[in-house]
Amino acid sequence: MQPVLHIEDLHKSYRTAWRKPRRCALNGLNLEVPKGSITGLLGPNGAGKTTTLKAIMGLIHTESGSIRVFGAEGISAEARMRIGFLPEQPYFDLYLTPRKLLGYYGRLAGLDAAEITSRVAHLLNLVGVEEEGDLPLDKFSRGMLQRTGFAQALISEPEFLILDEPSSGLDPLGKIQVRDLLMGLSAGGTTVLLSSHQLSEIEEVCDLVAIIDRGRNVASGSLLDLLRSREEVEIALISPPLTSLAQMPQSAVWMDEARTRLILNKEDVNQALKMLMQADAVIGEVKQRRMTLEEFFVSQVGAEEGSG
Amino acid sequence: MKVVGIFTWSVIQDAFHRKVFYVIVAFTVILIFLIPLLPSADVGVQMDLLREASLGLTSIMAFLLAVILASTIIPGEVKRRTIYNTLSKPVDRWQYYLGKYLGIMLVVTFTLILTFIVLVVFILAKFGMFNPGIAKALFTIFLEAAVLAAVAMIFSVYFSPLVCVVITLLVYVVGHVKGDFLYSAMTEAGNNIFLRGLAGASYYLMPNLERLNINETIAHGEKVFQVGAAELVLLAGMALAFAAIFLYIGGFLFSRRDL
Repeated sequence: MQPVLHIEDLHKSYRTAWRKPRRCALNGLNLEVPKGSITGLLGPNGAGKTTTLKAIMGLIHTESGSIRVFGAEGISAEARMRIGFLPEQPYFDLYLTPRKLLGYYGRLAGLDAAEITSRVAHLLNLVGVEEEGDLPLDKFSRGMLQRTGFAQALISEPEFLILDEPSSGLDPLGKIQVRDLLMGLSAGGTTVLLSSHQLSEIEEVCDLVAIIDRGRNVASGSLLDLLRSREEVEIALISPPLTSLAQMPQSAVWMDEARTRLILNKEDVNQALKMLMQADAVIGEVKQRRMTLEEFFVSQVGAEEGSG
Repeated sequence: MKVVGIFTWSVIQDAFHRKVFYVIVAFTVILIFLIPLLPSADVGVQMDLLREASLGLTSIMAFLLAVILASTIIPGEVKRRTIYNTLSKPVDRWQYYLGKYLGIMLVVTFTLILTFIVLVVFILAKFGMFNPGIAKALFTIFLEAAVLAAVAMIFSVYFSPLVCVVITLLVYVVGHVKGDFLYSAMTEAGNNIFLRGLAGASYYLMPNLERLNINETIAHGEKVFQVGAAELVLLAGMALAFAAIFLYIGGFLFSRRDL
């Protein structure tokens, strides 16, 4: 199936000040977003996430490389008709009300008056600002502005939704609503690309992840595959070994001083169990240990930092 | 053109929510009402003085409105990042740029019509004369604002509002004083051919804003010169040609700009 977004060898650099050397923001970035997926873009500050999203939307011009959206090179006004975009910390003209603001974006998206009326009512309800729909935005909290921003991204019922830090500024309830909303949109066939600092959000919502560091994609794939590829096994002991364990496999690491929890590569499990039993340890549980996204993220970005 | 119209309307809405708009318009109208109180407003010249001073004030008002709006719209939207939401919709950048410019000119038109009504009613009440001829001067004030707003918008693509206002003010000053100076330099027999060529090129390439200044003629009731329809069409053609060129340059730069 043709991906909704295909980025190949993208380069972008900025001049931060007059006569200063250019700073590389994207350094040969590759990225693919399959149709119907929720893809999470992860990376430390300054990794190039927002630059990537801006490049996709045509807000910045790249120096080389290719961006194909819906199979066509570059992004046209027609392609933007099928895309919804939520920038990081969206801001609006504060004298407007959410209803007027969404009406304005609806008109820009080419909707007619009847479509705008029904769509705006639906979206205000969806993002939970229906009661405040006729209040000026200068009365809104940061979280409510974020919800309004979310609504403007959805005004044209986009097939492809690009979100930069969608949960930024939201309270826990708001985050849950965004998560449920994304799941619902995805179930309806919408493709989502979201950039986030919140690993838990990515882990809960995304089925694909791309980790960006220093303008390059350092790891990408399905969340399940990425975390499974580093599977380890944890052995919990009811009572620790009574004798010394000089012959334990090299991958084995005790997780506590009382020596009741041991982590090791799954290839070494049988050998370790044999040794533990020989040392009179009582085994309570043997379970597969899956890396958390945080551990995986640190291992990828940390490795890059080290090699850099 | 529908999208351009949406952007145009957004400028009008925005302008009417800015205090600076009301301050400039109110200040101008109040000053017009105060002109007859000037000590030099003797009987006999009152009418001419009122017309000349009020047209001068209106020129300044139109300049300020056009340049302030043109210098702040793009930098403001970039700074506040509202431009990301807007340009992520199915619109082209030239539509945004042109729509904003047309919006500025509509705001200027609205205020000039308002000033015209105030002036005509005031002259009618004070002197018992209906004086629609001042519309010609207001029309050339509009043309000058159209050129200057297009200039300010070019600089607003890359510079802060303050820098834009300063540069446009320079263009305004040079545009008003350059005519005679460059014409002399171009025709002076003593100058070498290079200097004469340079002066000639500048003379024809830079807008001669003084040509658009017919305030004095109108203020004195067109006693010496008559400003006919052909003259106004010529001035409109010149101003709109310059505005179109500046808009093209600005639109091109804006389409290349990283946001």
